[in-house]
Amino acid sequence: MPTREEWAVVLFTLRVAALGTAMILPFGVAAAALLARRHGPGRTLLDTLFSLPLVLPPTAVGVVLLDAFARVSPLGRALAAAGIQIAFDWKGVVIATSVMSFPLLVRSALTAFEEVDPRLVGLARTLGCGPMQAFFRVTLPLAWRGVLAGTVLAFARALGEFGATVMLAGNIPGRTQTLALAIFHEAQLGHDDRARVLAGVTAVLAFAALWSAEIVGRARARRTA
Amino acid sequence: MIRLDFETPLARFPLRIEADLRAPVTAVMGPSGAGKTSLLDAIAGLRSVASGRIAIDDDVLVDTAAGRRLPPQHRRVGYVPQDAGLFPHLTVRENVLFGARGASNEVGHAIDVLEIGSLGARYPASLSGGEKQRVALARALATRPRLLLLDEPLAALDVSLRDRIVPYLLRVRDEWATPMLYVTHNVGEALALAGEVLLLESGRVEAQGAPLALLATPGLSREARAGIENLLAGEIESHDAEGGVTRVRLAGGLVVSVSIAAERPVGSAVTVAIRAEDVLVATEPVRGLSARNVYEAVVRGIERGPGDAAVRCAIRPELPEWLARLTPAAVADLGLATGSRVWLAVKSHSVRVTSAPPARAGRGADVGTGGS
Amino acid sequence: MPDTGFAMSWTRRLFAAAALGMAFSASASAADVTVFAAASLADALSAIGKGFESTSGHHVVFNFGASSDLARQVRAGAPADVFFSADQAQMDVVTQAGLVRGADRVDVLSNTLVVVVPAKTPRRLQAASEIASFDRLALADPQAVPAGVYAKKYLESIGLWSRLADRIVPTLNVRGALAAVESENVPAAIVYRTDAAISSRVSVAFEVPRAAGPAIMYVMAPLARASAAARLFAAELTSTRAARVYEKYGFIVLARK
Repeated sequence: MPTREEWAVVLFTLRVAALGTAMILPFGVAAAALLARRHGPGRTLLDTLFSLPLVLPPTAVGVVLLDAFARVSPLGRALAAAGIQIAFDWKGVVIATSVMSFPLLVRSALTAFEEVDPRLVGLARTLGCGPMQAFFRVTLPLAWRGVLAGTVLAFARALGEFGATVMLAGNIPGRTQTLALAIFHEAQLGHDDRARVLAGVTAVLAFAALWSAEIVGRARARRTA
Repeated sequence: MIRLDFETPLARFPLRIEADLRAPVTAVMGPSGAGKTSLLDAIAGLRSVASGRIAIDDDVLVDTAAGRRLPPQHRRVGYVPQDAGLFPHLTVRENVLFGARGASNEVGHAIDVLEIGSLGARYPASLSGGEKQRVALARALATRPRLLLLDEPLAALDVSLRDRIVPYLLRVRDEWATPMLYVTHNVGEALALAGEVLLLESGRVEAQGAPLALLATPGLSREARAGIENLLAGEIESHDAEGGVTRVRLAGGLVVSVSIAAERPVGSAVTVAIRAEDVLVATEPVRGLSARNVYEAVVRGIERGPGDAAVRCAIRPELPEWLARLTPAAVADLGLATGSRVWLAVKSHSVRVTSAPPARAGRGADVGTGGS
Repeated sequence: MPDTGFAMSWTRRLFAAAALGMAFSASASAADVTVFAAASLADALSAIGKGFESTSGHHVVFNFGASSDLARQVRAGAPADVFFSADQAQMDVVTQAGLVRGADRVDVLSNTLVVVVPAKTPRRLQAASEIASFDRLALADPQAVPAGVYAKKYLESIGLWSRLADRIVPTLNVRGALAAVESENVPAAIVYRTDAAISSRVSVAFEVPRAAGPAIMYVMAPLARASAAARLFAAELTSTRAARVYEKYGFIVLARK
């Protein structure tokens, strides 16, 4: 059974994953909406860019993030001036996990948007809707379950993120240590039994998240049938 | 008036339309893939036009030379697609009000005319095909469009249902001044509703003209012609259970005997349908024939097509013409010509009765609607 | 049952074994020596290894990292020939696992701790207590990595540990702490003097006096199963030639017993 500190790690992991997912939700939906409207080389380029974190090694993404937020970078300087710490800080965890789970959200939302009958959107246009209005009044309401499933998927991915997180936020117990990082740390210290307990908790959480995503997705399939 | 003069590429050939449409209802016909739906999409703004001009009266929707391409939401063109296209996540009421600027007299009128008032809280999934089409019509009308586009609205419905919707379409045509572009495969529908027919083939206008005249067009297939029926409004007059006959009184005092339909109360309004090919033509008074319905008439015109002929006959000058379908051989043998005095005979079994509401009080139904 | 076939197959096997044995001894003239060593030794050992390769013809492969991490790997069966730890504790781990003979252990080097800051913003602490002025301090993981364990011992000895404990940024190894300051992501770190010396992007803010600091001891040993070539390299690591290299990098060479 997990100790009190370990439960704290679980809670911390859940919180940063939830915060990160909430943060990328509007961006992910917007990105998917943008992709759904376009066709041709422009779309392929955007699609590939958004999907990169899915395929790149998380450590590679971590290096890019470190550079982006380094003190010497323009972004880093601006944040430092505002007194905001990203590297080796919980905010770094949120950013790293968000970036890694973003593509999952976009892809799920995109599929959901594309499943909406384009004739319905066209009809909405003839009934007086501009493109944005048609999106909010027809596409989004019909696709919300797919978007939700994508959100839960992104959350599950954020729960397990390691490579980019350890590089950008470090493995600071009590500050930036998520479940994945804690498992690594315990193993490093030779505490294999603790590592196994934490791995077990992670497995249960991931299972629950994926199960929910599946149920939501299933309900959507039934509804459109 | 709708002025079309544009061109835009489709998958297999370019859509090249040059036509001025003046009639209140124009039927757009032609084989599958001829570009009928693409034409509607171009007018609605759902398909971009490569070059040309589309205008409704003084309003220019598209003029590529002037760089004008009005987006769909500003064109005020109502669209009723083949499958009604109702928004599944909204109730009937929300669907109807979707494009309307709040409930208004106009919206209420549409709901009344199309008789969908009782469906308000229901969702599209629970509606029948006919109800969906009526809701779709109301939804389009609620935006006060200046043009209505209908893409084979009755194609997905079975025959009896179609009979029930056509009168609603007739009402829409007569109650609103909105011009309609009506895509259909069905000649009978075109005849029932349209003042003019636009025949498309491979993206071009093959022919344009009065519906009956187009019957003679070589382009029209025998199958297309097979659907023609004579549609007449009437009232149940009496039932003769032993004789197996129900008598229907038509406008102008004409009485038609149909196979017994005792379930229909005396006095109820009905529509009577007689297929053109079920109408027998004789040049002498008929005697000793089993047919219950024999009427004297005068030939008003004969339309000939390849291996086919349609004879238009008037029983009374003020009543709608009846259409009889004969072989050219029969026409020749009988020596039929405009002005010939004939007797029309129809078996009571050949008459179909439906309880569709009449088009409008006092107006007889037109020749048309059917489909096998 | 005729035995001839069976006996013959046995002869064949013996022959094959002998041939293999000869092949092995033949390759003993150009073997791979795998060395697991503390991260702080990276530069010095690479130089020594290069020299050894050119004179002996053997090939040296290094795995630098936190001594605690390396000890764990060796215990789990990693193919190390020589283990060079930054503290005794980790060498004890390997010894207790029976992988190193006590007699083979040699105390080779010592080192001192320094506090470093980014070279762009140099600073000189007047006293050790000023270490508490940094809002974050990078250390190799003080729970296990020698450099971090030493640093924690020192901070405890001067009574600063309790104040600094939740401002510590633990890194995978001592070079990670160095990198954190080089990138200016953390304002200061405690590393070995030898680490500060090889980096131009940090400057030393404070040097822990040898007397005040913890006793730092680098212990080296060939593993019990090590090959002749590996033992040769282990001997090289304690040679006077090697001592010159260590001193060049700033290590303190311990007198041989």
